[in-house]
Amino acid sequence: MPDTHFYRYDDYDRALVAERVEQFRDQVQRRLAGELTEEQFKPLRLTNGLYLQLHAYMLRIAIPYGTLSTRQLRHLAAIARKYDRGYGHFTTRQNLQLNWIKLEQAPDAIAMLAEVDMHAIQTSGNVIRNVTADHFAGAAADEIEDPRVWCEIIRQWSTLHPEFSFLPRKFKIAITGSPNDRAAVRVHDIGLRLWANEAGEVGFEVIVGGGLGRTPMIGKTLREFLPKDELLAYLEATLRVYNRYGRRDNIYKARIKILVHEIGVEKMRAEVEAEYAATKDGALKLAPETIEAIARQFAPPPLRPKRTKVPEVEALKLENRAFALWLKSNVAPHRVPGHAIVTASLKPAGAPPGDASAAQMEGVADIADAFSQGEVRVSHEQNLVFPHVAVESLPEVYRALERLGFAEANIGKITDIIACPGLDYCALANARSIPVAQRISNHFAELSRQHDIGDLKIKISGCINACGHHHVGHIGILGVDKNGVELYQLSLGGDVDFGRTALGTILGPAVEADKVVEAVDALVATYLEARQAGERFVDTYRRIGAAPFKERVYGAV
Amino acid sequence: MALFRLNPLAPQEPALSIANTDDVLQLGDRLKGVRLIALRFPKFTDGRAYSQARLLRERLGYGGELRATGAVFLDQLPFLLRCGFDSFESDQKGFGPALAKARTLFSVVYQPTGDGRATAGQLRLGRRNSVAA
Amino acid sequence: MAKNLSGELHVASANRLGDGLVVFLDDAGQWTTRLDRAALARDERAAEILLQRAQAEAFGVVDPFLVAVTESEDGTLEPLSLREKIRASGLTFAAIAGEAVRYA
Ligand code: SF4
Repeated sequence: MPDTHFYRYDDYDRALVAERVEQFRDQVQRRLAGELTEEQFKPLRLTNGLYLQLHAYMLRIAIPYGTLSTRQLRHLAAIARKYDRGYGHFTTRQNLQLNWIKLEQAPDAIAMLAEVDMHAIQTSGNVIRNVTADHFAGAAADEIEDPRVWCEIIRQWSTLHPEFSFLPRKFKIAITGSPNDRAAVRVHDIGLRLWANEAGEVGFEVIVGGGLGRTPMIGKTLREFLPKDELLAYLEATLRVYNRYGRRDNIYKARIKILVHEIGVEKMRAEVEAEYAATKDGALKLAPETIEAIARQFAPPPLRPKRTKVPEVEALKLENRAFALWLKSNVAPHRVPGHAIVTASLKPAGAPPGDASAAQMEGVADIADAFSQGEVRVSHEQNLVFPHVAVESLPEVYRALERLGFAEANIGKITDIIACPGLDYCALANARSIPVAQRISNHFAELSRQHDIGDLKIKISGCINACGHHHVGHIGILGVDKNGVELYQLSLGGDVDFGRTALGTILGPAVEADKVVEAVDALVATYLEARQAGERFVDTYRRIGAAPFKERVYGAV
Repeated sequence: MALFRLNPLAPQEPALSIANTDDVLQLGDRLKGVRLIALRFPKFTDGRAYSQARLLRERLGYGGELRATGAVFLDQLPFLLRCGFDSFESDQKGFGPALAKARTLFSVVYQPTGDGRATAGQLRLGRRNSVAA
Repeated sequence: MAKNLSGELHVASANRLGDGLVVFLDDAGQWTTRLDRAALARDERAAEILLQRAQAEAFGVVDPFLVAVTESEDGTLEPLSLREKIRASGLTFAAIAGEAVRYA
């Protein structure tokens, strides 16, 4: 088995996770014995990732920085088989959700998870959640530094944090190490962007108060440049200000974005800086050896530069159009010549976005062992990524993915839809998301048409909580409930590309479920007629405005 | 309410009771000579008193008894202890035995707080240095 | 909570504590996964009593509540709201099976 190229637990990490499993086992036992009421138990199970959904319990498993070894992925498949119905759902926050867990078996399931150094700690509840990162981290050609080093440092600091385990509301952090943000850092409670200043030192831009949900907001810069070794002291200061002053009277106003909005970013900055001044240079300052020791574990695999033009690849490109399209949409540049980053699409035509069966997870693990240094990534767009594939292996990888049903050449295209679980699973939903995604996916299944339409991100949420990130979809779809009927509100113009983070604007009245496809079709037709060379859907929308789209949609439906 | 004190002999006068919305950094002279401070958890999911406790202990150097009152349950104990609480009001069944075990429930901690426990990070540094030496 | 409580017919539902599955209270005061065995309250007063009974039997379930239903000619019960329809009859699309490899 290949070595891993990311953080490996030591005995401290392992002891803590094992002790947390036993603590949870005791909590579950007390609940089953009636010693804890549901009201008391709920926050306890949530901070260990266990929800009660419509039909069953759901376990949300953390995949820190979206990075998995094949051993871990195979183990996840085995857990899904043993304790669930043999499949799982990869989420927009680089987690894996199992939808049919039994409370009585949940402690055993997470004990099995601990066997491969994984856990479900703080994947829900009003705590610091699993820190997310660019899914191309450590492989991307445009990267300044690997953000996962910092995710791991934050993971440890935030795990069972004694002061911040009962925050006003959940707290999400994302980190990017590239100028091309693939981690959506401006729509997180805290976003961190690594960049090099004029002196050539690398530090963080600290962005605070972004988020989607009921009140979408784009984060504001709290600190232009933070020295790296001060990261934890600065985060602790920010979280302390939030824990003390964040609103607790109204759940919808409890996120840090509301605090920042209400007191203003200047006041927020003054509060954080004052707190930071009192604690910096204390025990939270990171020793260079500490950073070094973690960074070493993320050392990239020793890839030798290889041929970038491979005859077999070029030949197959000519002969197989689907492969040629796949190279364009699913294969991204790697920093080592002759290698590539391959995205496996978990969005084949008509499938529930982000779902994979146990057998498929094992198939992905086999491919990663053979061709990607034994490593797999989970993207926040609910796909799986092979970070280190030699260009010469691309035909084989493609064929293997075809056998799994994950070779759809649609990354970034109209059928690469993000959809939350919606009313089929979720107790909070107003409307279904997955069947809507399936219908759109089937309608636009034809690949050359998708490639003609080009980059177009559709994001669907089943309620205002916006787990499907509809606000930042080029086309956002939000399920609403009107007198018991599912309706869908369309918005246009959202984006998460760096420097261009934008929230979509509602197009007009919500449409019925069976009209969504027609409406999307009308939007696409409007774009195709009006576009100028090189324009993506969202560019055309920005240039010509909503009116032509609106006319076409409401004329059509 | 049953009362659990880690230092049963410590004096409990003069005492101060603080709402969890009060800014402890503004207490100034009112802290002088105080031997007991009671902090409040109106709901156990309201975590403001954890920050108050750490500020009292770590910023203001308060050394007297620090009591958790209100909605105090045994599952909070590892957090409460790490933030500097040393006395607890709770009616929950099993609270006493849980208190006896709470300090050893987790053999590893990641965050430096005023409780003085060596963090995993500090222990690793120590190990590396002893290997290097 | 069913949004349409104007309907006259109700059953009591909850999720079972141990495994989370959807259950209904039957006439014998037992929780069953079968909607067709659920005790039916035919008016408002009966619904109140049913809810009280459900709450009294809540030890092994989570948060019982009333679900408005309709009854067809042959006595088949169906929840009024879409949410409760989905709770009662499961996913509205085919989930992939554990051994499924889509194109194999
Ligand atoms: S957006 Fe709403 S419906 Fe969708 S998963 Fe989140 S809470 Fe549930």
